[in-house]
Amino acid sequence: MAEILQYVHKDGFLHRLHPYTKIAFVIAVSLMCIIATDLTFLTLMVVAMLAFAAYGGLLGEVLQQLKLILVMSVVFIVITLLTMPGGDVLGYLIPTAVPLIGGSLPITVGGLNIGLVLTLRFMILIFAFQLFLISTQPRDLVHAMEKVGMPIDYILMFIIALRFIPTLQIEGQRIHEAQLARGYNPGTGFTGKIRSVAPIVIPLVSNALIRSNVLGLTIDMRGYRTGQKTHVRERVLVTRDYAVMAVLAVAGVGFIALLLAQMV
Amino acid sequence: MIELKNVSYTYPHTAHPALDRISLTLPKGRCIMVTGPSGAGKTSLCLAASGILHHEFGGKKEGTVSIGGRGVAEYKSLSDLARNVGVVFDDPEAQMIFTTVEEEILSALEHRGLSADVIEERLAGIIRIAYLDELKDRSPHNLSGGQKQRVALAATLALGNDILILDEPTSELDDHATKRIATILADLKAQGKTLLLVEHKYGYFRDMVDTLVVMENGTITASGVPDEVLKDSRLRGMILPDFSTVAKAAPVKSDAAPVVTVSHLSYSYGDVEALHDLILTIRKGEFVAVVGENGSGKTTLVKHFNRLLSPTSGDVVVNGKNTKNCSIAELARDVGLVFQNPDHMFFADSVRDEIAFGLKNLGIENGSTAIDAALSEAGLSGSADLYPRWLSRGERQRLAIACVVAMQPGVIVLDEPTTGLDGYEARLVIDMLRRLQEKGHTIIVITHNREIATHCADRVITMENGRIVADTRGA
Repeated sequence: MAEILQYVHKDGFLHRLHPYTKIAFVIAVSLMCIIATDLTFLTLMVVAMLAFAAYGGLLGEVLQQLKLILVMSVVFIVITLLTMPGGDVLGYLIPTAVPLIGGSLPITVGGLNIGLVLTLRFMILIFAFQLFLISTQPRDLVHAMEKVGMPIDYILMFIIALRFIPTLQIEGQRIHEAQLARGYNPGTGFTGKIRSVAPIVIPLVSNALIRSNVLGLTIDMRGYRTGQKTHVRERVLVTRDYAVMAVLAVAGVGFIALLLAQMV
Repeated sequence: MIELKNVSYTYPHTAHPALDRISLTLPKGRCIMVTGPSGAGKTSLCLAASGILHHEFGGKKEGTVSIGGRGVAEYKSLSDLARNVGVVFDDPEAQMIFTTVEEEILSALEHRGLSADVIEERLAGIIRIAYLDELKDRSPHNLSGGQKQRVALAATLALGNDILILDEPTSELDDHATKRIATILADLKAQGKTLLLVEHKYGYFRDMVDTLVVMENGTITASGVPDEVLKDSRLRGMILPDFSTVAKAAPVKSDAAPVVTVSHLSYSYGDVEALHDLILTIRKGEFVAVVGENGSGKTTLVKHFNRLLSPTSGDVVVNGKNTKNCSIAELARDVGLVFQNPDHMFFADSVRDEIAFGLKNLGIENGSTAIDAALSEAGLSGSADLYPRWLSRGERQRLAIACVVAMQPGVIVLDEPTTGLDGYEARLVIDMLRRLQEKGHTIIVITHNREIATHCADRVITMENGRIVADTRGA
């Protein structure tokens, strides 16, 4: 089963970076891809993300998301084609040969362009967040966030939300199988679909609530919320981190220059 | 070390007390094992003895609890209590918060005000005690239930407390994993730890238990040296169940109609082969036990009977129909499958509605006769209007079986139906299965329990690494 956004234990370049460096990386990359609208620039960024992933030994993990991205990109492009037409017409979603409705729903350069920009941005954001999360041990993240003064309860909440994604996936699968064995068939039509959700979601949520009770007691009984703490194996910013941040700074300045020249 | 005097407790919004005038003393370095039916108040006792009940729960509380000579009210908070007592709960999944085993233990060690050197030293020691060396870098979803439970225990040990309270630490575990936990606990006791252990599996822990306590309906009904307590035949039946008195059916004739025929079945999860070239015929009316270690392919095999899984190669034929040509819903009429955890199926507002769900799915009209029959079969006639999740674990297990029985499949498959049950509850389940066999159903049970396999089944199939290594018929 694909493990969504879970830490992958390896010893690569990204794993050795300090969480701060990686947070700076995510922020810089996100800002750039949201501001930029140039297709070439965004494509180069995607290539850069993949190169970075490959360098850190995480290309395989990142490419697992390709299916999701492909589906989302088709959705984005179809929506923008329908809602934001503009510029030259390249063709029609319904071929002109079809009687009566043929030639409607034009594929325009403007619509296509916006759809592609959204897709690329989406890809870059997903890759950047994923690289950060799968290469950072939660306890390093806890240390880093505590240092910047974030309350421990919020940090634990964030970590637990991520940690339990695969647990819920597996549990959902088991519930689904148990109901299938009782002849459950997912309904048809809109109301059928909604109604058929109950046999899966109710056990999933009830079990999760019971589990959260034990989880809460465990957190207290292990003293995670005491605040007092000895930091062992703590990460410190090293030359590698400063180098990456310098690269990010240069890229940022370069990006602003390109922006002022209206090239991105 | 822990002393409870006349402790009574009633949960908010309930009428009956979960604990009723409990008095118990756990001296330093000793081990008390608490046992009893599900719903008897054992978990509430763990919560009371650890002070959690006092600090975290509302409801009506009476009596006094002291830990290490201090009353629980004198402790400022749970974090304060956590410096004196460690608690391991029954759900190992909920006790893993971080993403690798080492990280989990290390994070618990960091909150003890120790120096970094001492922490590293203790970490190494705990990993050794809990046999976790090879698993250090694994993530929670790549661990078995037994391994997770060892991690939860290790993270609790990291706190360095002398008192440990364990609430059914082996309930979901197989024979091998239970033995491992028992070995670890025996070592801890030898080191001088004080243990309060809630367990059903007395047999695994008999050498380390100083006092055996039996709880029923919120009260202690017996307490003393294990040998003395076990002299009472009723209690003995609960603690050390004897399945040798289960009356077996007359042997099924070798020419009885085959209901499940497996020919050259292989199945792979991705690159991992889970089943290898299995050949098996199960005949109408048989009571078959499937045994084997975790990961030997037992559940994978039975999931083929109702097509939750389809063969990578080979065929599975159920009642003359090749499963390849049937849908799961169609096969639900022929094969009923009850999974290990009953809580994976309950969603209705009442026991009756829960059973009706399967019947509606099969399009059976006027199901109320079938529902009533299934309820009485499961001994739940009086609970028809209750909310399923309010039932005790033993009752929920029987309800899960009733849900499948009402659909009247010829073959009933059960995955670990006696997990987490005491001797009497397990016996109720087994007797129910025997009655169903008498009525002509074919019963297939996956079990870790060798006693059940040898005494209740006509035929025992042993699996190992995706292969059937033994297939024996009882006398």
